[in-house]
Amino acid sequence: MANVTFRNVRKSFGEFVALEELDLHINEGEFVALLGPSGCGKSTTLRMLAGLEFPTSGEIMIGDRVVNDLAPGKRDIAMVFQSYALYPHMSVGENIGYPLKKRGIKGRERDDAVQKAAELLQLDALLDRKPKQLSGGQQQRVALGRALVRDPQVFLLDEPLSNLDAKLRSYMRAELIELHRRLGKTMVYVTHDQLEAMTMASRIAVMHGGRVQQFDTPDAIYNRPANRFVAGFIGTPPMNQVEGTVEGGHFITGGHKVPIDRSAYADALRDGPVVLGVRPEAITIGKGEGLPATVRLAENTGHETIVTLELPDRTRISARVEAARRLDVGHSVALTFDPDAIHLFEASATGARLNLDAKSASVVSMRSK
Amino acid sequence: MKTLRPIVLNLVTWTLVLLIAFPLLWMIITSLKPQSELFRIPPTWIPESITFEHYWRLLSETPFLRYFRNSVVLAVSTTVFVVILGTLGAYSLVRFTYRGRETMAMLVLFTYLLPSVVLIIPLYLMIASLGLSNSLFGLILAHTTFALPYALWLLRSFMEGIPEDLENAALVDGASRMGAFKDVIFPQLLPGIISTALFTFILSWNEYLYALVLVNSESVTPLTTGVMSMLISAFNIEWSLLMAASVMMSLPLIVVFAFLQSYLTSGFGAGGVKG
Ligand SMILES: Nc1ncnc2c1ncn2[C@@H]1O[C@H](COP(=O)(O)OP(=O)(O)OP(=O)(O)O)[C@@H](O)[C@H]1O
Ligand SMILES: [Mg+2]
Repeated sequence: MANVTFRNVRKSFGEFVALEELDLHINEGEFVALLGPSGCGKSTTLRMLAGLEFPTSGEIMIGDRVVNDLAPGKRDIAMVFQSYALYPHMSVGENIGYPLKKRGIKGRERDDAVQKAAELLQLDALLDRKPKQLSGGQQQRVALGRALVRDPQVFLLDEPLSNLDAKLRSYMRAELIELHRRLGKTMVYVTHDQLEAMTMASRIAVMHGGRVQQFDTPDAIYNRPANRFVAGFIGTPPMNQVEGTVEGGHFITGGHKVPIDRSAYADALRDGPVVLGVRPEAITIGKGEGLPATVRLAENTGHETIVTLELPDRTRISARVEAARRLDVGHSVALTFDPDAIHLFEASATGARLNLDAKSASVVSMRSK
Repeated sequence: MKTLRPIVLNLVTWTLVLLIAFPLLWMIITSLKPQSELFRIPPTWIPESITFEHYWRLLSETPFLRYFRNSVVLAVSTTVFVVILGTLGAYSLVRFTYRGRETMAMLVLFTYLLPSVVLIIPLYLMIASLGLSNSLFGLILAHTTFALPYALWLLRSFMEGIPEDLENAALVDGASRMGAFKDVIFPQLLPGIISTALFTFILSWNEYLYALVLVNSESVTPLTTGVMSMLISAFNIEWSLLMAASVMMSLPLIVVFAFLQSYLTSGFGAGGVKG
């Protein structure tokens, strides 16, 4: 049993609170990504799980064991460090074999295990090299090999792909997905790259300000963001946010009415200030009827054009249109939003989603405690 | 112009080398000259006859060998003490956070800034009250106190250059803290340890003032003070013996340097620098 639980975990460095209150339950065999902007506490979370950092309060469990006071080597975990942390004076083979050596596995048995891990990662020709003599991608694979050579309960990976070039990164991404499928082990993967999180993870914990903002499948994170932070963090460009009010079941901004799908909200839709969220691809740019806006910028990436538009209240939003579409900067246009793709959030600082379902709602209610 | 440049550069370099090496050369030459040739004017550059009589006299008729042995014990013990204490101290300063850590590091360095003359009287009193005055061990302690601050800072900066994650990785891989130190930190720190050891050994080997004040019995006198008091009196300086003694005093340093030099250049691969 190798599920992982953080219960009410708080972590402060002196005065500075890095993690306010962390609650996560990761199931056995799951591939979970911790995603968030720099400094949000992702590494700290992972390092606490590894035993390299101690929670100020709260409980961390691996399987049925509370591991708070357990030394890193006794937790039966393997970790890939962001910096790889390869032992410079040891050869590739010695690096990969080190965890086995420390567990008293000797001779043939160790050599065979190292050989197997090396073959899996196509490192078998490099076993006698020193880490300095390897390319970044090779070093990264050695770091992975050192983790894979054992059969730990949980794999911890801290931005393992961040130092690689784009091509190697997408290759390693596929490799890791394949590896996880084959091993079926619990993996906790830290990244600030949403593409990595969206493509690899079975569930993503979006972190910000020392808290988990949403912990859900990539699909739910994208299509039903739990609050304004998640909405504004996921997607390139992210979801647009327009301030306005609800009056009699309609969204009004700058005196213009935007139709919404009322059935999705039941009684959550009360009159008052709200924030409307809409993804760039759910915006249609036309003439005549709709929200008036001015074209400010049109960026053609080759297969699509990202248009930056300015609303009368100076809010800037972006829309995604086909590449062939010509839009002149400075021209006035009218926008319509796909009613099924509209999200409404509270106008407060946390900006919770209005129609949260029960699961996400529990996260939010815990946050507001 | 193109061909002139290297010639000029070489000339300048060799002039400098000769200037620096001249006293050393003169020392060796003098130690090999017979007594009769010593004060001849003009001086002879290449001795007319080479003699080892001064070396022989030094070894057979004076307590030179005893002084030498004392110096070896003194410098080696000091080096061992300083390296062990310095490494542990630097590890603690770099890896752990505790109250007063920085203050302590600064205070330690502060003692290094004071001239030894200021420290020597209190040090003498302390060593005397420990019953260690006039013993080699007392002198070893004294040398340790003045070499340690700098060694600590030297090792600290080396230690800071070792990524913390290297040690963390070893811990996750199942090593104990001691194991991680032995397997990962120590090999990385080796260049730093060698530099520190070299520095400490030379300092202790050449130290004069503490030896002069803290030790006065023949049996524990090291080379520096021993040779001085033996060969230099108010009326007479035994130049040829002094030069022979100086040559032999320099030998260990040259040997240690030569040995560690080859290690520093070839052995660094084992220390983790690109190999
Ligand atoms: N040892 C420490 N002492 C003091 N503050 C720390 C320490 N370690 C981390 N922090 C702080 O805790 C916060 C979270 O750090 P953490 O390394 O977990 O961020 P992260 O989410 O991994 O960011 P990144 O994406 O940049 O790696 C940061 O604001 C950081 O400055
Ligand atoms: Mg990090």
